Amino acid sequence: MTIRPMQEATFLILTALADGNQHGYGIINDVAGISGGRVRLRAGTLYTALDRLRADGLIDVDREEVVDNRLRRYYRLTPEGGRRLADEAARLQANATAAMQRLKRVNVAKPALGVI
Amino acid sequence: MSSTSSPDWAALSPAASSSAELERGYRRLIAFYPRSFRKQNAEEILAVLLATAHEGQRRPGFAEAADLLRGAARMRMGLSRAPRTVLNAVRLMYLGGVAHLAVLITILVTAGDVRSAVRSAVLQHDHAVSAVVLGKVLSTVSAALIVNIVAGALLTVAWLWLAYLTGTGSAWARVLALIACGFSTMDVGINMAQGDATYAPAAMIASGVVWAIGLAAVTLLMWKPSWAYFERRTAAAE
Repeated sequence: MTIRPMQEATFLILTALADGNQHGYGIINDVAGISGGRVRLRAGTLYTALDRLRADGLIDVDREEVVDNRLRRYYRLTPEGGRRLADEAARLQANATAAMQRLKRVNVAKPALGVI
Repeated sequence: MSSTSSPDWAALSPAASSSAELERGYRRLIAFYPRSFRKQNAEEILAVLLATAHEGQRRPGFAEAADLLRGAARMRMGLSRAPRTVLNAVRLMYLGGVAHLAVLITILVTAGDVRSAVRSAVLQHDHAVSAVVLGKVLSTVSAALIVNIVAGALLTVAWLWLAYLTGTGSAWARVLALIACGFSTMDVGINMAQGDATYAPAAMIASGVVWAIGLAAVTLLMWKPSWAYFERRTAAAE
């Protein structure tokens, strides 16, 4: 499959699961934490994404439990999901590093622009 | 579950009744999802929705409801698992269907005007034209209009149906889209050769736009990520 940029919500969901198995509500909270409160996943978006990620084999259901009469399903990252997340993280990091290096060079050349 | 010595406070408290009302609201929204998905995920989504609801909330918020309905629509159309190329192709196809519908409505609305314009043109050309000849001309015009209306209706349905088929990842959808695009190219070419561009510029522009939409959709479907998607869907269906 060709490598194309992952949607941010997908990237953050996989990142949340990289730290261990989580259920839907846990993922929403974790994603909000990772993104500094910027990304608040809604239930419809989350479950459309989870359904797709399962179909693509990037995540899988780990286990189910019932807490206070409510169903909780825990998801985990598959090895393929881990690989895809690592690829995407490396891609983002390479871009970010290039941007930072160039900005540093600009700052060295023109100290007046240090506010960047 | 409740004890015999005390009344069932949970059933009487306003908080419990508002949360029951909220749950009903969420269930109504979840009902829009496909049955197979609901069977697996309804209770789980409900739990998440109730967990994210704020204290004392009685009904689903507007953004929440819109998000759920959007997810349900995408899933119903089979789009939730499609790559962006397929998603955009399907959007274009729905747009094509709507464009045909617009053309159809235009024909229906202006049909009377067309008939009276032809009638006055004939009378201007020959004041002494017989009623029989005029009647024949007008019935030819009517027949042409009816053909256009029927064709427009069929094309509208065909586009929308093809969009739906493509979304569900049907292997036939791509073949049909390719054939349709070929015919449409031929049709536009023939019309152009017949000089439609000079005597019916508006109709020519309309069919040109619809043709371009179709071509763009088919191009997107032939893109590499689309191939992978259709192969996956075909494999899943077998």
